[in-house]
Formats: sequence, C-alpha cells, structure tokens
Amino acid sequence: MQSTDPMVRISNLSHTYQSRDGLVPALIDINIEIQAGRFVVIVGPSGCGKSSLLMMMAGLLAPSQGTILCSGHAMTSPNPDIAGVVFQEASLYPWLTALENVEFPLSLKHVPKKVRRDRAQELLSLVGLQGFEDRYPHELSGGMKQRVSIARGLVQDPPLLMMDEPFAALDEQTRITMGDELLSIWEKTKKTVVFVTHSLTEAAYLADEIIVMSARPGKIIDRIEVDLPRPRKYEMMSTVRFAQLRERIWNQIKH
Amino acid sequence: MSSINQNRFSPRTTRLLFVVILILCWELLPRFGYIPTLFLPPLSDALMALWGSLSEYLTHLWFSTQAIGLAIVIACGAGIGLGLLLSTSRALVGIAQQLASSGYAVPIVILYPLFTAWFGIGMHSKVAFASIYGFFPCFLGTLAGVKTIDRHYITIARSLGASRRQLIFRVLLPAAIPTILSAFRVGGSLVIVGVVVAEMLTSAQGVGYLITRYRGSLDSAKVFAGILIVVAVVLIFDQLIRYLERRTGFWRLSTQSSENVGA
Repeated sequence: MQSTDPMVRISNLSHTYQSRDGLVPALIDINIEIQAGRFVVIVGPSGCGKSSLLMMMAGLLAPSQGTILCSGHAMTSPNPDIAGVVFQEASLYPWLTALENVEFPLSLKHVPKKVRRDRAQELLSLVGLQGFEDRYPHELSGGMKQRVSIARGLVQDPPLLMMDEPFAALDEQTRITMGDELLSIWEKTKKTVVFVTHSLTEAAYLADEIIVMSARPGKIIDRIEVDLPRPRKYEMMSTVRFAQLRERIWNQIKH
Repeated sequence: MSSINQNRFSPRTTRLLFVVILILCWELLPRFGYIPTLFLPPLSDALMALWGSLSEYLTHLWFSTQAIGLAIVIACGAGIGLGLLLSTSRALVGIAQQLASSGYAVPIVILYPLFTAWFGIGMHSKVAFASIYGFFPCFLGTLAGVKTIDRHYITIARSLGASRRQLIFRVLLPAAIPTILSAFRVGGSLVIVGVVVAEMLTSAQGVGYLITRYRGSLDSAKVFAGILIVVAVVLIFDQLIRYLERRTGFWRLSTQSSENVGA
C-alpha cells in the first residue's frame, strides 16, 4: 500500500433519514482522512450520528451522499477482509463456543477447518483467552465476551478495526483494563482503529487523534492530535495535559 | 426463595403424589361403586382389556403412528420451512403472522367432512387434516421465534458478508431453534389430536377408530384402554421434545438468567 493514500477517506458525506416528521438531517458534510496504523476516536454526544457514521464506514448503512473509501475500496457493502467490526454488545452467537465464534467469519468463507481453528486459537491467545476456547458466551464475563468479539473482528486480518462503543456496557474497572488490552493488541497488530465512544476519558486515553462531533445534526467540530506519550499509563489520566484534553473536548460538545 | 424452600414437598414429589392419588381414585372409586363402571371402569379393568386385545390395539396404534409421523413431518416441515423462508423479510413476517393467526382461529375440524370427501376415509384424509391442524402453530411459532431474534446476530452476520443462505442456516435457524422446538411441541401435539379426532369422526383404522367403535358397543374398559394408549403417545412425544430442548436449547435459558442477574 502506498503510504500517501489514507486508510480511510470519507468525502462530502451527508446523511438524512426519513422520520414521521419528514426528512431529518443526521450527518452534515463529513470529511475524514485516517492514515494507516492510527488510532482514531470519534467522540460526540448521544444521538450525534457517530455510530451511524461507523456503520457507514463498515458498509452496513448507505449514506445519502458522499463516498467512503477504506483501503482504496468503496464501502458500499460490508467487506470483512477490509474492516472488522466490534459492536457495543459483544453479539457473540450463544450457541457457539468462544473458539467457534472466532472461527465463524472464516467458516463463512469455507476456510478449511484446521486452518481456521489454528487461526482462531492464535487470536484468542492474542486477546488473552487461551484456555477459554470451549466456553460458551454465557460462561464468560462481559470483558471476556468483548475480547472474543475483538478476536472475531481480527480473525480475517483486516487492516481496519471498527469499534462501536465496545466497552460502554462494561464496569469502570473492566473498561480501563480493556482499554489497555486494546492498546497493546493495536501495538502488536499495527491495525488502523476507528473507535466510537461518548466517553471523553476513553477518547483522550486511547487516541492518536480525536474527531469531535456536534449534537444532531452531526458535524465535525474539532480534530485533536493527542500528544500524550505511548505507551499510555493509567497515571496519565491525572496529569494536567490529560485534563486539558478532556476540557477541550467538553467545551466543544457541551453546547 | 425461602418460601419455596419451606415447602414440604419438592415439585417432583408433588407431581408423583398427584399421579398416585389419581391412579388410586381411578382404581378405587369405580371398584367400590362410587362411580358407575360404565362411565369409568377401574384402571385395572382398562389395563386388562388392553392386555386382552393387545394385538388389535397394536395394529391400530401402528396405523395411527404412521399417520401421526407423516403429518408431523408435513406440518412441521412446511410450517418451520415456510417460516424460515419468510424470515429474512420483516414485512413478510408481519403479513404472514396476520394471515396465519386468522387461519388458525378457524376451527379446522369443520372441514374434515370435506377432507373425507376429497381423500376418502383412509390414511390420506387423516394425514391431510392433521397436517393442516399442526401447520399453523408450527408456522406461527417459527415466525415469532425468528422475529424475536436479537437483531445484533443479523448485523454481525451482515458485517461478515454472510450470504442469505448462510444467514438462514448459520444464524437464524440456530437462534430460533428453542422457539421452533416449542412450536414443534404445540404443532406435534395438535397433530396427534388431529389424527385421533379424524379417526374418531370417520375412519376404519387407528386408535381413535377403536375408541369410537367400543364406545358404540358400550365396552367402557376397551374405550379407556384406547384412551390410555393415546395418553402414552402424547407423553412419549412430550419426552422426546424435552430431550431435544435439553440438547439444543441449553444456551437460551442460561443467557436469559445471566441477563437477569446483570440487570
């Protein structure tokens, strides 16, 4: 891949949807470029359309206007070879074991059993779940389920990982652990991550770059380069720099 | 919880006790003349009658079983198959639900005379009647099951580029299996009812036919022997479904309970 081409290029994207009261603008004039290997967090108030934007980037929802290129491909339909998606609810299939859930995308592509088993095993180890292969989702904690879900998102080795508030349903402590875990996975796999959240702390802690969106109709109102050093540490959350970052985001979206 | 624990009998014991009392009443009340034996012969008389004409009952049971088996395959096959086929479209599911629940409300037994006119009084009319009788709950149950599937399961499959076929067989079907099994339970029971009723109305074969014939000759013991056979068939079917539910639906109960705990 040429280093000059961004991993994600969203051009002139707008979206309106039909409600009972007529057409409602949801997203206005979105232009985003994300370079390969970056960790980009989209943050905004509830209902600003950030999740819809992610669904569009994943090819699950068609925008009214504009184009989305991921790794040079127009995302007019889902393409798991380009983008793995992780949702808020881990959305594992409860009738499959952890290993089978991770294997599932490969089995849809008729990858031979041995190959996909090994690959899924590898991914479960990456997310720290070796030994839990044969557990069913109801036997796993919320954080573990989300780990399986991340492993599933990465199993086809896509260059992009898209995450829609993946830790929102977790308790505070698990959420912080999962953030660290995700950063270490990201550093190991060199993926490009697009991460949607409404948590300012999460945004500042994880991101290289934060894209701040306004309340509906969603517009991009700020882009913030996060200059906190990596690897990120929990203690950084109590630094002045961290507080300034949070405050800058807060001042943008509080109106 | 504590109030349940304070209960002196476990549910299992209570059930057993109930059955024992029922059997004792059935045996003793007619035996000692509290109930005329023409209305209710003692259980042992019914069992003796069963034993005495065992080969006749077994022959007719075989006819009934064939009809039941065939009708279950048709009713549940068509009901579940059609339900799954429609399942990928929400709009179709809505329309089908309305139509089928109206259809379900029609007492199909009024059509049975027509069926005998079309198919004769043999196996065909029984099977056709029982199939339609069992079709509706299977179909409606499958539609309801598919409708209640967590939408995330579908989104995930789409994000993974699943084809329509893969969506049905790898996601919708396994996710709907617990509901489909309850549909199968209701549908299957209705098929059994359908076959027996059909045999009782117009037929020359089957356990239902025997019951009607012996009722005509006022042989109560033999009537009840036939009833016992029908009860046995229903119980065996029920156990079979329970077994299937345990095998396939283990995750549903546990996900529900863990969600409750989480909330």
